[in-house]
Amino acid sequence: MKKRLLCLACVLAALGTLAGCQKKEVRPGDVEGYDPGETYLSIWVHSIEDTEEGQAYKKSVESFNEAYNGQYFADIEFIPRNDSGGGYSDKINASVMAGGLPDVLTVDGPNVAAYAANGIIQPLAELTEEEKSAYLTSIIEQGTYDDKLYALGVMESSVGLYYNKAILKEAGIEVPDPDHPWTRTEFLEILEQLKPVMDEKNGYPIDMTFPVGEASIYYYAPFIWSNGGELVSEDGLTVDGFFNSQENVQTMQYFRNIVEKKYMSEAPIENLFESGRAAFKFDGAWEVNTIYNSYPDIELGVAPYIVGDDWSGERYTPTGSWAFAASSGTENIQGATELVKWMSGVESGIRIWEMAKNFPSTYEAFENIEIFQTDENYGALYRQLSDYGHPRPKTPVYPQVSTSFQEVLESAALGGKDAKTEMDKSVERINGKLERYTRE
Amino acid sequence: MKRKNSIMGMAFFGPALVLLTLFLFLPMVLTFGFSFTDYFALNPELTHFVGLENYLNIFKDELFVKSFLNTVKFVLIIVPLQCGGALLLAMAINRAAHCKKYFKVAFFIPVVMSLAVVSTLWMQIYSPEGILNTLLGQIGIQTQPFIHSADQALPSIAIMSVWQGMGYQMIIFLGGLQNINPALYEAAEMDHATSWKKFKDITLPELKPLCVFVFITVTIGAFRMLVQPMVMTGGGPDHSTYTIVYDIYETGTVNWEMGLASTMAIVFTIFVVVLTIIQNILTKDKEGKHVNKKAKKN
Repeated sequence: MKKRLLCLACVLAALGTLAGCQKKEVRPGDVEGYDPGETYLSIWVHSIEDTEEGQAYKKSVESFNEAYNGQYFADIEFIPRNDSGGGYSDKINASVMAGGLPDVLTVDGPNVAAYAANGIIQPLAELTEEEKSAYLTSIIEQGTYDDKLYALGVMESSVGLYYNKAILKEAGIEVPDPDHPWTRTEFLEILEQLKPVMDEKNGYPIDMTFPVGEASIYYYAPFIWSNGGELVSEDGLTVDGFFNSQENVQTMQYFRNIVEKKYMSEAPIENLFESGRAAFKFDGAWEVNTIYNSYPDIELGVAPYIVGDDWSGERYTPTGSWAFAASSGTENIQGATELVKWMSGVESGIRIWEMAKNFPSTYEAFENIEIFQTDENYGALYRQLSDYGHPRPKTPVYPQVSTSFQEVLESAALGGKDAKTEMDKSVERINGKLERYTRE
Repeated sequence: MKRKNSIMGMAFFGPALVLLTLFLFLPMVLTFGFSFTDYFALNPELTHFVGLENYLNIFKDELFVKSFLNTVKFVLIIVPLQCGGALLLAMAINRAAHCKKYFKVAFFIPVVMSLAVVSTLWMQIYSPEGILNTLLGQIGIQTQPFIHSADQALPSIAIMSVWQGMGYQMIIFLGGLQNINPALYEAAEMDHATSWKKFKDITLPELKPLCVFVFITVTIGAFRMLVQPMVMTGGGPDHSTYTIVYDIYETGTVNWEMGLASTMAIVFTIFVVVLTIIQNILTKDKEGKHVNKKAKKN
């Protein structure tokens, strides 16, 4: 008899694990703080609850629930993602198939187009011009697909061209003001000038690499844009003639030039810039914090991003980060939009800076954080973002464009293969992925 | 009684069967089904049946063919090195007079460590200013790019994998060695057999069944190479370390093309199964011949 009970328990346990897969319906009282009369809004974020970022989201949700008490109740769920983006996106993909998408979810900036084109997210309820103008232009552009606003981020990001003040002084090089950046020809001359200085230090004029992953397109696409090139057409559905244009071939040859003349190391060397063995470095905004805290001996400066020789003031510098969007599954787009606005608003932005040291996404948040006014480097990064920020290509096949861009850098710039041939190959591959959007 | 027993059996077996069906068999069947469709993870509603189109397309896909060849290269480097290395280590430890336990543990530790950790560690070792290049510099060899060059990346990763995985097979061989009847060696010594002869005529034949097992598991393991290139090179430079499993992963989860990824997975599975069957037949045949020869001699 005992044995039978044991068997029964086993079977029940097995079934129990299956029952866990079912979608839950939440009623008032089920979750603490969810009262009758309130509209329930679920929200998924891509981070771990115990991190600073996770805590910042949690606090923002709590303050939303306070502010909208009696009207809305937002319930946050943390779904960690790994470096390559798995985990969180797997869960989204599974929910797209099986149902159960939340009302609001986070989307990485470059994926907004794919999610919108495939109907995973829906346009937000109408925002007033005033509400829109609170956000950095790059945030609005990143969230817009097919002329409709889908997503608003609480974070914005930037990449700086950092320089070592002591080395530039030694070489007698003056850094231009943000509105008159070095053109690529001028920059080559400067690298040439720095070469003997850096050889003496057993280093390189510039610390740069073309790493696998998102970093390459994020750091170096500005060279494409400021040279009059594009990676995709405006509707995001054509690459031939854009990705492999003459301008872009030129850009790849420019990078090849930097590699060939040994202005950069072919294989990445760790802490080249941080140890004072490189005059310049491209890196994310986090680098400022790293230098200040861990390498106080380095006198850090932020130079304006390099532009093409014929640049005439267009936006071109790196931007983009995760954003909040309303899922196509939500029946309450008004409520979801309120939540998106709140999560990405000024207060949440200041919090994300204070807790996680991520740049906020609204002008007001920047104005209210002291360091952007007092510190020249943070100030320079903010100015670069607000004046020249450019979103990454908006296309439903973004992942393929990003991978292809890095591959061309690797094979043409590093490996010395013919840039045009490599880019044509990429175009063919991207076209293969575009087919499902262009057939009809 | 019999019936009661079978009910009990089912009750114990049932939960496992349910879970296996759900998380293993069903996904396998689904993958097979998806491989004939253009299933797109972001928009499952638009899925069409496309017949054999995927199967034709992947063989036209330069990248898939390249990743396939890369994987074969990995297998060709890893299998002999890892099997041979494990056997050598096992024999060395078997003979060691002191610190047997220490060496056993030392060689086994990499197996226990997470592949991601080991890979990160070796990125440091292989870096332009890492230990290996510093050592090479001492003996007058120029700095090598290792994982940063299209020519050296694949062998570099393969050697790291051999180092990482060898300990496991070593333990298996060690068990086998200790099971060999010492009387065989004593008899050989009386006949004044050389060490090489003892190895060739006693150790190897006695270990044969283990060798077959190790050979097949190492081969399958090498075919599934993913984490090392993913962490160390991202499949580069210039796709030189891009493997099939990596391609399946990228196609399915990064580019959301589950249908195509399923096709790749099915083709890959068929290939590995066929190869394993061939390996089995080949090794069995030899064993048969071996016995026959012995019988004839007698």
